[in-house]
Amino acid sequence: MSGTAELTGVGVRRFTRRATARRADTSWLTLGGDVLSALTTAGVVVAVLGGAFSALRGRIAARPPAPATDLPGELTAAVAALVVAAGVVALLSRLGPLSATPAAAAWWLPLPADRRGLLRGDLQRVGAVAVVSAVVVALPVVLAAPAAPTVAEAAVTVLAAALLALTAVGVLVLLQARALTGWVAPVAGSLATAAVVVPAVLGTVGPAGPAPTWAPTAPDLPLPVLGGVPLLVAAVALLAADRVGGRVPAGALRERGTAVLVASVSALSLDTRELGRALGTPVHPPRRARRWARVRTPWQAVVAGDLAVTTRSPWRWGQLAIGTALPVLAARTDGLGGVPALVAVAVVAGWSLAAVALGEPARQAHGAPAADRLLPLGARDVVRARAVVPLAGLMVVCAVSAGLVGLGWEWAALGAATAPAWAGAAVRGGYRPELDWSGPVLSSPMGAVPTGVAVTLVRGLDLGVLGTVPLVAGLLLGAVPPLLLGVALGWSLLLGLVAVETARRTGP
Amino acid sequence: MAKPGLLEVRDLSVGYGGEAVCAPVTVGVAPGTALGLIGPNGAGKSTVLQTVVGLLPPIAGTVEFDGRPVDEREAAFRRDVATVLDDDAFFPSLTGTEHLLLTARGHGVADAEQVVAEEVEEFGLADRAHALPSALSSGQRRRLALAAAFVRPARLLVLDEPERRLDAQMRRRLAARIAAEVADGLTVVFASHDPEFLSTVARRVLVVDDDACSVVSPGDAVAALHAG
Repeated sequence: MSGTAELTGVGVRRFTRRATARRADTSWLTLGGDVLSALTTAGVVVAVLGGAFSALRGRIAARPPAPATDLPGELTAAVAALVVAAGVVALLSRLGPLSATPAAAAWWLPLPADRRGLLRGDLQRVGAVAVVSAVVVALPVVLAAPAAPTVAEAAVTVLAAALLALTAVGVLVLLQARALTGWVAPVAGSLATAAVVVPAVLGTVGPAGPAPTWAPTAPDLPLPVLGGVPLLVAAVALLAADRVGGRVPAGALRERGTAVLVASVSALSLDTRELGRALGTPVHPPRRARRWARVRTPWQAVVAGDLAVTTRSPWRWGQLAIGTALPVLAARTDGLGGVPALVAVAVVAGWSLAAVALGEPARQAHGAPAADRLLPLGARDVVRARAVVPLAGLMVVCAVSAGLVGLGWEWAALGAATAPAWAGAAVRGGYRPELDWSGPVLSSPMGAVPTGVAVTLVRGLDLGVLGTVPLVAGLLLGAVPPLLLGVALGWSLLLGLVAVETARRTGP
Repeated sequence: MAKPGLLEVRDLSVGYGGEAVCAPVTVGVAPGTALGLIGPNGAGKSTVLQTVVGLLPPIAGTVEFDGRPVDEREAAFRRDVATVLDDDAFFPSLTGTEHLLLTARGHGVADAEQVVAEEVEEFGLADRAHALPSALSSGQRRRLALAAAFVRPARLLVLDEPERRLDAQMRRRLAARIAAEVADGLTVVFASHDPEFLSTVARRVLVVDDDACSVVSPGDAVAALHAG
């Protein structure tokens, strides 16, 4: 075999792109239409967000008397931004940031081409995703500021967020090249948990009345320093990332690329369960294996197994903490707390997060049905036993959460009464069947909605939401009459029973 | 005096998360020879191969290629070492020929189209060379992956169960082709469960096991395979 110049990394990418483009049926007109559509959508999102936050600012001005400390809206917006940012950083560290799809790992990485050039496109893509995320995260913070921000102030804040995001990408690539990203996701998760829990606690135990206004302000420095330093830091981080990109081992790139591929396919097919598996961090085996010495019956075996699955991952604890604190944070936030509908949304969001965390054993059992058949227990009884741990966990989550939202024992009792419905939701969601794309399609203003998929996706959450209706009624009334408590308990038990009994289709 | 090995593996412990999957491996492979790996399913053959080519970090021990520690990130290593492991991944919008051309041109093969055309013929893909991977059968995709190892220059070829998913005729042709390449100076390391393939290609065989990894003759290895 005689030799000629080898293709460079850029050359390999160009070869692949041109070969792909030869049989692509996408015209420039189509691409232009897609870009226009994306820009229009982005514009609509910004306008809707701006309108929503302007309306909230108006509500804050006419706030009702507060039962505890009112957290300033801009603080809660900053918490939301921090949580999203932590999520994006954790996601980037889980998926790379640099990665190679299985095809690229098989056909690009073994070539002698410079890996730096091969991966530069990936670095650019990840950078673009980080910038877009930063803009989306920064907007609520800007718009929630006590005084309406000027366009220049908004632009500077968004630009700073974008530069921060690019710096984060650069730093993550540097860590990835040294195989040091393992700690990033746990730290980001801990930070997000603390960011939600701490303000919720402070808002509850602090003195009654509005808290002093809080807003992030830029240091009083000359503009070239203020703008130049972040720009310089981001540029240095990206250049360093580009330089070390070629040092990332092929094995790591391939592993992350596989995760990216599975996550992308799952997201596109709306398969949230598979998406969770793709993005989930591996659980390390415990130092000491459990001996199950106290397990005497099949029921106890199921419960003990579920307890081990639930408590073994620190992520579940974080989810439960956030699920408990989120409604409290909303209720304590200036403006939000006075709107029962918004508090109810936070209650549903928080408790559904807790239900998802406690539904993990059911999800794992659905993925490995043979495990359920190992025990001398009927299929229905296995599912019933699988509701014990979620029920116990959600009793605590719902009681503490509702008790702190309403600041009273009667509210805690109302929350605990709602727990059976959410426990049922956890089991029902965990045993959710595979998505059914064959169902009828419903025409909607947002496009075609595959009803079969929609019905399956909300399975679990549906009964949890229904079970929360009495609590929403309590929020609207501003009190918990004994009758409401009784109705809530009966309604929740009924829904929980229905959820567990219909969680899984059993064989003939 | 024994020839210095192109590939030198010393006290290599392989596995995942710090847990070894088989006994430590020590073996040298001289230029122009072929080493086969055998062992039951899960014995660790693929893990050994992936560690040898730098895709997995070793738990302990060393792997040297041409006197230098293996680093798959080095272009020189990738220039010299061709691998066909358990990957069945292809760019969905590139045809078979385009995959092979990408490999050949990526390695700076001057007469890339000619070389690719010959290998397409050799691997029985002439009729399907312009099809997308999704339109190829599992066996045809395997042939395509194997052909990619021959459209480029290499000093060491590492194969994980190359006979997998191939029909009997193609297995024999592939074994004869690899044996001929070894006779021409190529060094080959491969894992296999096929006694005929093993006896045609290998000069020595490494038995991968939990207790001890040992090097035996192809005859002994074939006997072991037949014994199950």
